[in-house]
Amino acid sequence: MPRFGRLCMVEPGARRGRREGGILLSLTSVVALLSLWEVAAGTGWIHEAFFPRPTVIGAQFTALVREGILGQHLSVTLGRLLWSFLVSALPGVALGLVLGVWRTAREVVDPLVAFVYPIPSVLFLPLAAIVLGRGEAARVATAAVTSFLLVVINTTAGVRQLDRSLVEAAMHYGARGWRLFTKVLLPGSLPWIFTGLRLALGLTLIVVIAVEMVGAETGLGAWLWLSWQTLRVRDMYAGLLVIALLGMAVTYGLEAVRRRLLPWVQEGESKL
Amino acid sequence: MTSRVFGRREVLLPQELRAVTGVVVAALAWEALSRGGVLNPAYFPPTSQILQVLWRDFRGGDLALHTLATLGRLGSAFLLASLPGLGIGILMGLFTAARRALDPYVAFLYPLPKVALLPLLLILLGVGNPAFVVTGSLTAFFQIVVNTMDAVRHVDPLLVEVGRNYGARGIRLFWKVILPAALPGILTGLRLGLGLSLVTVIAVEFAIAKSGLGHLVWRSWQMLATPQMFAAFLVVGGIGILLTRGLKRVQDRLLRWQPTVDVWA
Repeated sequence: MPRFGRLCMVEPGARRGRREGGILLSLTSVVALLSLWEVAAGTGWIHEAFFPRPTVIGAQFTALVREGILGQHLSVTLGRLLWSFLVSALPGVALGLVLGVWRTAREVVDPLVAFVYPIPSVLFLPLAAIVLGRGEAARVATAAVTSFLLVVINTTAGVRQLDRSLVEAAMHYGARGWRLFTKVLLPGSLPWIFTGLRLALGLTLIVVIAVEMVGAETGLGAWLWLSWQTLRVRDMYAGLLVIALLGMAVTYGLEAVRRRLLPWVQEGESKL
Repeated sequence: MTSRVFGRREVLLPQELRAVTGVVVAALAWEALSRGGVLNPAYFPPTSQILQVLWRDFRGGDLALHTLATLGRLGSAFLLASLPGLGIGILMGLFTAARRALDPYVAFLYPLPKVALLPLLLILLGVGNPAFVVTGSLTAFFQIVVNTMDAVRHVDPLLVEVGRNYGARGIRLFWKVILPAALPGILTGLRLGLGLSLVTVIAVEFAIAKSGLGHLVWRSWQMLATPQMFAAFLVVGGIGILLTRGLKRVQDRLLRWQPTVDVWA
């Protein structure tokens, strides 16, 4: 995760108080690149059929948003993303907590997780289609498989790194079963759970887009694929813009949520 | 008391043996469920049949060729991504100006699922290996840039201070102090980059390529040749395990001075 805005460590103190200058540099960089692109495409240095001018892309983007087309595809993709995330996150955290404390189960499940986890999720689409039929359920399940395992792995790691004496103390004070889970194990492993959830959401987005490209008629991935097949380059750039914004919202939004809801939680380092 | 929570301490079998046992038991259970008709054998062929097909196709060359195609794309993508990724990541970590200038692009493109760039690259480079490889490569590139930049920036300032006090400046300070201290994060970036690259390459093959394991799974699905499909699954899973576990081991070996904490095992 990039943590933007922190001061550079190599020159401690030297750059302090120059934040405005820094933003100015970033802005200049972006404006310069976009202007260069605009001019280069306008004068024919780069092929306008491949790299339409930024203003043209912007106009197309606005038009598509106003017609509601992009919004429609976005909401379909968002729906799939949310369902996949829910389906992977809730059981993932539950199973991860159990595996964290139950050694035998962990040893049985570990080799299976280790084997299935690295298989790229897109490959589960045929399997999901066989089991669930070719439809929405198969797409959601495909995007959920690897994310589920990611959440399981990180939650388990979160429980395993808990201070033993903490758990011991809780048990001495009579925490057992459900209370032990909700009062000690869950809060104690939250940093790792959050790392797992963040990684899982990012991965789910990748897989949802990929699945839409190969096996759906609606959604942002399907829109991109269709634009390619019909060679509508400007539509493609507009779709890419939406996906990039969605990616940013997912990546930086979850971090903001964590800072708001759990300000005391520092994210745990992923053990993957 | 805690033994109930964390499990018994004594180890009955070595870890590898236990892992193998788990896999064997799962394979036998699959075989029994398929032969017993609990799982439809047309969709879930018995383990023995999958292994037979795996062996046959590997010796026949078909599966081996698809595996080589995938590995070739993955290797090229990773090579193409790693050197520029490391260079730019280090520059952005060391120099505030470089970071400020490039930050907007990294922040914008890093969260973008790179597979979404495939259609654009197909238009720019045509349908073929260059477009497939570049798509996989971009995935790894941004992961490597972000992890390298983070690792370099978050080197303990105390270490840098000590290095300075002992007279290390410029290149020497970087080479002797900053780089070794940032190495764990950098290696993690390379490892994650390679893993994500595999995801993207397989997705690209699944979507459009005419060779590779991703294509093989797609084709077997279309023809409902399920034993072939599962055989390809096994190969992809094997590659994945080798990449993730193997590289983790290499990383731990390279960083012997770092305590390794394997909480999952």
